[in-house]
Amino acid sequence: MDFLHAIQANLLSPPILFFALGVIAALVKCDLKFPETLYVTLTIYLLVAIGFKGGAAIAEAGMAKVWLPALAAVLLGALIPLWCYPLLKKVFGFNAADAAAIAAHYGSVSAVTFIAASNYLKSLGEPPEAYASAFLAVMESPAILIGVLLGKRFGTPGVSSVPMREILHEALFGRSIFLLLGALAAGFLAGKPGLEATAGFFVTPFQGVLTLFLLELGTVAGRRLADIRQSGPRLLIFGTIMPVIHGFIGTGIGAACGLSIGGTALMGTLAASASYIAAPAAMRLSLPEANPSLYLTASLAITFPFNITLGLPLYLGFARWWISL
Amino acid sequence: MKLVTIVIEELARSTVERALQKIGVHGYTVFPVEGSGAKGQRIGDTPESGNLQFQIIAPEDRATELMEHARKELFPHFAVIVYETDVRVLRPEKF
Repeated sequence: MDFLHAIQANLLSPPILFFALGVIAALVKCDLKFPETLYVTLTIYLLVAIGFKGGAAIAEAGMAKVWLPALAAVLLGALIPLWCYPLLKKVFGFNAADAAAIAAHYGSVSAVTFIAASNYLKSLGEPPEAYASAFLAVMESPAILIGVLLGKRFGTPGVSSVPMREILHEALFGRSIFLLLGALAAGFLAGKPGLEATAGFFVTPFQGVLTLFLLELGTVAGRRLADIRQSGPRLLIFGTIMPVIHGFIGTGIGAACGLSIGGTALMGTLAASASYIAAPAAMRLSLPEANPSLYLTASLAITFPFNITLGLPLYLGFARWWISL
Repeated sequence: MKLVTIVIEELARSTVERALQKIGVHGYTVFPVEGSGAKGQRIGDTPESGNLQFQIIAPEDRATELMEHARKELFPHFAVIVYETDVRVLRPEKF
C-alpha cells in the first residue's frame, strides 16, 4: 500500500473525521461545547478501557515479552526532554522554564494519540501487540520528572517554592497516570475472564466513545488555533518537526526490541506524541513561571492534530523501513 | 470579617489550597467559573484550562496576609483576580 493510500485510510476514519468536524465547529464559532464534566468522564473511560485491556493482554503474553520494550519506553521518555530542552533554549530561543516545560510535554505521551494509532494500525492489518498499553503507562511520568528537574536546575532560582514531595506526587499520581497504571494492574489481575466480563462496556462501545471524544478534542484544538499565530512560527516548527524525529527514533527502538510492524509504529507514535493531560497539570504546579499557553498550544493545537493525521502513516512507514533493514 | 475572592486558573488549585493551609484559613468554598478578563474570554473547556473561584471567609488580619501572599506568589505566575469585601458572618467563631 502506498503512502498516500495510508494517509487517506487514516483521514477517513470516524475519529479523525469527527476531530475535523470539531475543529470546524470551533472555527465557525458554533456553540457546540461539551461540559467539562463530560470531557473528564470520557477521558476516564478511555484511560480505564485502554489500561484494563492492556493489563489483560500482559497477563496473556507474560511479563517476559513485555519488560524489554517497556524499559526502552521508559528510557526514551526520560531522554527526549534532555535533547528537546537545549534545542528549545538555544535554537528556538525559549527561556529556561518554557523550554523545560515544553520538553517535558514532548517526552511524556498522549493516550488518545496512542489509541488513534492502535485503531489505525488494526484497520490496516498491522495490529500492534495488545500489551502495548504498558508502554503508554510507563512513559507518562519519567519525562515530567526530568522536565521539572531541568526547570529547577536551570530556571530562575527560588521562583517556585513547591516542595519536591508534592511534585513527585503530581508526576506519579496525577489522575491520568494513576488511572492508567491502576487499570493496567486490575486488567493484569483479572486476566482474560475479567476482560470478557466487561467487554460489553469497555470493548464494544470503545470506538464510538473515542469518536465522540475526538469531536470534543477537535473543538478544544480549534479554539486554540489563534494562539498559534500569537506564539509565532517557532512553536509550529518545533511542534511538527520534533514528532517526526522522535517517531523515527522511537520506531528504531521498537524494531530493535523485536516488536511487530504495528508495535514498532506504535512505539514511534508514543515517542512522537506530546502529553496534554498529565504534563500540563504537573508543570503548572512545579514550574508555574512557564507559560501554559505555549505548551498547551504546542501539544494540543499543533502536535496532536499533526500526529493523528499525517504522523500515523509516516510512523508506519518508518516502522516498515526499520524492520526491513 | 472579610470575604476574599480569588478567581484563578484551575491548574493553580493546589497552589492556592497550600497557601490557605499555610496561612491558617479554613473556611472556604471553591467552584468552577467562566468569564472574560483583560486578555479576553477565558477558554475554560478542559480541566487544564478551566477557572476556579475561591470564596474565603477570614478575620481581617488573616485576610490581609492572604492578599499579600497572593500579590507575591500568585500574581507573577497565574491568571488571577483577587478582591475582598466586608461581610457579616453568622457564627464568626467558626472562622
